Amino acid sequence: MLTEITLGQYYPGESVVHHLDPRTKILGVLFYMVMVFLANSPLSYGLLIAFLIAATALAKLPPGLLLKSIKPLWIIILLTLVLHFFTDPGEVLWHWKVFTITKEGIIMGIKMSLRLVLLLLVSSLMTFTTSPIVLTDGIESLLRPFKRVGVPAHELAMMMTIALRFIPTLLEETDRIMKAQMSRGADFSSGNIVQRAKNLLPILIPLFISSFRRADELALAMEARCYHGGEGRTRMHELVYQKRDGAAAFILVLLFAVLVFLRWGMPA
Amino acid sequence: MEPIIEARHLSHTYVDGQNQEMTALKDINLSIMPGEFIAIIGTNGSGKSTLARHFNALLTPTEGKCLVGGLDTSVEANLWPVRQTVGMVFQNPDNQIVAAIVEEDVAFGLENIGVPGPEIRPRVEAALETVGMTAYAKHAPHRLSGGQKQRIAIAGVLALEPKCIVFDEPTAMLDPKGRKDIVETVLKLNKEKQITIIYITHKMEEAILADRIIAMNQGHIEMEGTPKEVFTQVDRIRKLGLECPLAAEVANALQKGGHKLPPILTHEELCQALCPSK
Ligand SMILES: Nc1ncnc2c1ncn2[C@@H]1O[C@H](COP(=O)(O)OP(=O)(O)OP(=O)(O)O)[C@@H](O)[C@H]1O
Ligand SMILES: [Mg+2]
Repeated sequence: MLTEITLGQYYPGESVVHHLDPRTKILGVLFYMVMVFLANSPLSYGLLIAFLIAATALAKLPPGLLLKSIKPLWIIILLTLVLHFFTDPGEVLWHWKVFTITKEGIIMGIKMSLRLVLLLLVSSLMTFTTSPIVLTDGIESLLRPFKRVGVPAHELAMMMTIALRFIPTLLEETDRIMKAQMSRGADFSSGNIVQRAKNLLPILIPLFISSFRRADELALAMEARCYHGGEGRTRMHELVYQKRDGAAAFILVLLFAVLVFLRWGMPA
Repeated sequence: MEPIIEARHLSHTYVDGQNQEMTALKDINLSIMPGEFIAIIGTNGSGKSTLARHFNALLTPTEGKCLVGGLDTSVEANLWPVRQTVGMVFQNPDNQIVAAIVEEDVAFGLENIGVPGPEIRPRVEAALETVGMTAYAKHAPHRLSGGQKQRIAIAGVLALEPKCIVFDEPTAMLDPKGRKDIVETVLKLNKEKQITIIYITHKMEEAILADRIIAMNQGHIEMEGTPKEVFTQVDRIRKLGLECPLAAEVANALQKGGHKLPPILTHEELCQALCPSK
């Protein structure tokens, strides 16, 4: 039922990739995304794909797991491909009534959809190998320097932590309320969209009320345990960069250097 | 010896959104000594939670004073020392666990008061050990039973090494097994760690375990004394809308019927009094 939903898509493991510092992974993913837009030759795309395959193998993720993460967006990817095929101007390869396919269109279509796929895959690689809790720690630590310019790093992290803690509890509660309303004859599975949305009200209202009560009690409990915001707060697990983080950074920088060379360094 | 908690002419008036005043506590005078185990009983709305929340400065008196370890809770600068001295465990175990991993939740209070990272872990482990939840350190709280969650909540308070812990109906939402675990844990904290306990409850079998019982009624202290002193006054307790432990009620009925019996609280004492041979 509802309570079976798992949060995020963390795939627990003990690989090097799993044990990388979350900050390394977040920055690495951002860096990789930059590189995806830097690449402009088949060779550079090949290198990016090779890196992704190597990282997936190193993470000991089952083959195919990563590919599944493309599924929710496959329509957009296909659309990108097709739109470019038929709309880009250039050397005409095929023509029928209003439809023309150009050489430039094919190249651009493949390039754009490949970029999308790579962006999706690399971020999934991160979420598969990093639990949401660790990811939160990483985000907090990365945002901390921006506190001075008004980024509420601690508050954001605390919100995420509490969300992670309470989402399962609230799902359980939703389930319970649904069953209670069903036992009184509520019907959630028939009627048109408007009716169904209306039928959700008897679930949402009790859920909201109980969430406010929970929030109230939680705030009291946090205060009783000396919570007073991020100021002067320490952490049990301070994130510490390890040798493997250095190695990962080195590989990424190397890849970057090669891509820069392939783009600008080669005589045309 | 200095009392750890002292209320002097403490009154508290709530003011709600429509400026309606509601006096929840009237002129409370109370001293609690270090190491004592106090039970507070009283009907719904008699002011138990309101009183308890004064002990760690979640509320401050609107009149009178509340002193914790000699510090006035109304003084802003005393807030954090007061909250470190007196911890609080609430009724609903779900709504007091903050983090998605047990050990992180236990560490929450220590992180708040700025204990250096390396010192946190041993204190977290010690607290989990005390409540017997070491095996669950890495678990997700929402998968635990109510009693286990409540023990995690206790560990979270315990990690701060408070001198006193206030329990506000900690067993109200638990099954008999969970209830027994919590009561045992509370007794252990009191007897082995000499932690002062203030235990609010509607269950008289739990209240009789205390050294002293405070019975509240409409915002003031109506009765105060050892469990024997309080629960042998069966009629007065009934008038407050409360029940005595079953054995005390039976003994009272027998006494009224002309039997001579000593003051009785528990089933064992009742059996002993009725059939001394056993
Ligand atoms: N935030 C508030 N605003 C206004 N009135 C309040 C507030 N909290 C409590 N009260 C009132 O104060 C009185 C005492 O409440 P309190 O919660 O202390 O009772 P209690 O003895 O803990 O009851 P219970 O056994 O139900 O927990 C009640 O009449 C209640 O309605
Ligand atoms: Mg109460």
